[in-house]
Amino acid sequence: MKIKRSFLSGVAGVTLTATLAVSTAIAFAAGNQDGHHGDKAATGEPGKASEVSRTIEIKMFDAYYEPEDISVKKGETIRFKVVNAGELVHEFNIGTAATHSAHQEEMMLMVEHGVLEADKVNRNMMKMGMGNGMTMDHSDPNSALLAPNETAEIIWKFADGEELEFACNVPGHYDAGMMGEFSIE
Amino acid sequence: MRKSLMRVFSLGLMASMSTALLPVLTFAGTYNLTVDKVLIDTGDFTKEGIGYNGKSPGPILRFNEGEEVTINVTNNLEETTSIHWHGLILPYQMDGVPKISYPGIEPGETFTYKFPIVQTGTYWFHSHSGFQEPDGAYGSIVIDPKKRKPFRFDRDYVVQFTDKHPHSGKRIMRNLKMASDYYNRQQQTLGDFLSDVNKNGFEATVSDRLDWGSMRMMATDVEDVQGFTPLINGKGPEQNWTGIFNPKERVLLRLINSSAMTYFDVRIPGLKMTVVASDGNYVQPVTVDELRIGVAETYDVLVRPKDDKAYTIFGASMGQTAYARGTLAPRDGMSADIPEMSIRPLLTMADMGMDHGTMEGMDHSSMRGMGSKEDKFYAKGSGIAPTAANGGKFLSYVDLKAQKPLYKEREATREIELRLTGNMERYIWSINGVKYEDADPIKLQYGERVRFKFVNETMMTHPMHLHGMWSILDVGAGKWNPAKHTISVAPGTTVYSETEVDATGQWAFHCHLSYHADAGMFRKVVVEGGPKTASLTTTGKGVPQ
Repeated sequence: MKIKRSFLSGVAGVTLTATLAVSTAIAFAAGNQDGHHGDKAATGEPGKASEVSRTIEIKMFDAYYEPEDISVKKGETIRFKVVNAGELVHEFNIGTAATHSAHQEEMMLMVEHGVLEADKVNRNMMKMGMGNGMTMDHSDPNSALLAPNETAEIIWKFADGEELEFACNVPGHYDAGMMGEFSIE
Repeated sequence: MRKSLMRVFSLGLMASMSTALLPVLTFAGTYNLTVDKVLIDTGDFTKEGIGYNGKSPGPILRFNEGEEVTINVTNNLEETTSIHWHGLILPYQMDGVPKISYPGIEPGETFTYKFPIVQTGTYWFHSHSGFQEPDGAYGSIVIDPKKRKPFRFDRDYVVQFTDKHPHSGKRIMRNLKMASDYYNRQQQTLGDFLSDVNKNGFEATVSDRLDWGSMRMMATDVEDVQGFTPLINGKGPEQNWTGIFNPKERVLLRLINSSAMTYFDVRIPGLKMTVVASDGNYVQPVTVDELRIGVAETYDVLVRPKDDKAYTIFGASMGQTAYARGTLAPRDGMSADIPEMSIRPLLTMADMGMDHGTMEGMDHSSMRGMGSKEDKFYAKGSGIAPTAANGGKFLSYVDLKAQKPLYKEREATREIELRLTGNMERYIWSINGVKYEDADPIKLQYGERVRFKFVNETMMTHPMHLHGMWSILDVGAGKWNPAKHTISVAPGTTVYSETEVDATGQWAFHCHLSYHADAGMFRKVVVEGGPKTASLTTTGKGVPQ
């Protein structure tokens, strides 16, 4: 990847970032470095409010999102304002297809234990112990589980993970198409 | 000179397009159907039958929600015909049932249906005269919504099942009246007797046979009629109807069961199905491996084939005597393995509503949130309760919950009990022991909410269909109970459904198994009261919320 001299001249910071980008690209191409330092590095991490570059409004309907495609830049911190504009409970969850699949099984358990109903979330039941040292507490920073009309905010800093999706893991919703894609540049 | 010629040409083309059956995306479309004698080729046999616009199945009618449709139907047969729009809410004069909605359509006559479309989803249409429907007179209806659909798909296909028989409908009815087991080839034999003795002991086996004998029924009677070739979109298993997809696309399959008598257990090995609609109404999405589609029911399912290979759409008849087969593939000419059918089920005493001493353990139904493995829409210990062939999830009525309830929940104003009855020996089918011709109509008052209690006192599964109004099936989900047009009632069970009586006029209400309906399992429902101006352009969908 050739970088034009004129672009680089004068700004040391840009040069540094550009060089880093180049070296990372080379590493991927060479295939001798594992780009993933666990799922967290690929998915990103909770962001700081002070670093938010823009705010995106996410509307959840039955059963789809508006918008369905979001472009983000590597390292960008975005504030998501999520609102449930539907009549059923929905989730906005940032992850990969694999993490979503695992989460769907967890949500199914929540339905079976009566914690999750079609249009209601029984949050008081979530603290209930399931007898194996786990609870059904739904407080991950990359996810918002909302009943109709509820709103939430998620501030997220994107890393360079590929195939990142936002999805609703309420049983059946993902399969019905309630998911969207992040294109990370 | 050339320009005007082209203009005439294109006008002519447009004119002929509108008289052909290409859907015109206006809000007042005109559609033309002819009812014709056609040749049906199943791959196993060819037979003369009845179709629409020269073919069976007839065309897919695509309407838009809010459209005022005009459908001209011309009868090219030598007998009266009719077309009923199954599941559509419309003025009763447009419902297409001879002697209830109108006299029918005489040979050579053209009847014009005109009504507004007040709903969306997958439906179908068929003749309501004689046995024309089993003889091939059926087609499909797809209604697109005004607003965005609650699920995403890249393409959709109608997947319409039927059970085409080498005998005509009239002949089948004659044979059933003559000997009710005429088509029942799986009668238990001496060989079966001896192997049962081996398994259960002599006394138990003799006692079982005597019990069945005293009821004048054969334990194998899961299907009334056998010997048919199941078709998908008019094609038999060898002919292999194929739907093309691009890998990773979401495909919506509009499953319609347009059979005379057959329920199909449908699965697509390698693909899960996400059910998003039932009988035209959206349900909360539920993903399953297999489902049973009753006669006259519809299910919209989403599949997402990820690989560049073919998948088999497999529909085994409920009695596992025949199968329908189609293919989903990225290109024409591909096919996948066809699964084996399962062991033929036998009805048990439980299906007769008799429990011969089997004690149930704890009553799990009272424990909230604990899913019971048993499907409460089948008798406990039933021989026909389905299980998924791959060990996965089989759809139950209990899984169907409305996505957006059509009506507000309220207490029913009264209950009407309908015992589903019959005399298998003489092939008489009835309601409360009375055949249609001897029965009074069921009278309902506009504005009431009736709770129908179906008590199945017979050995067969009956798909009960009320015309003109929704049947809200009680699956135990309160306000989320789904609104359907066809409710299947398994042997030995009691099923409840509620109807908001909001459509004046007279309506048919019957078992949708063709030969049962003809034998008397049928009623006329009369709805009295309602707005005086029940004109053709004013049809409300529900009681104001």
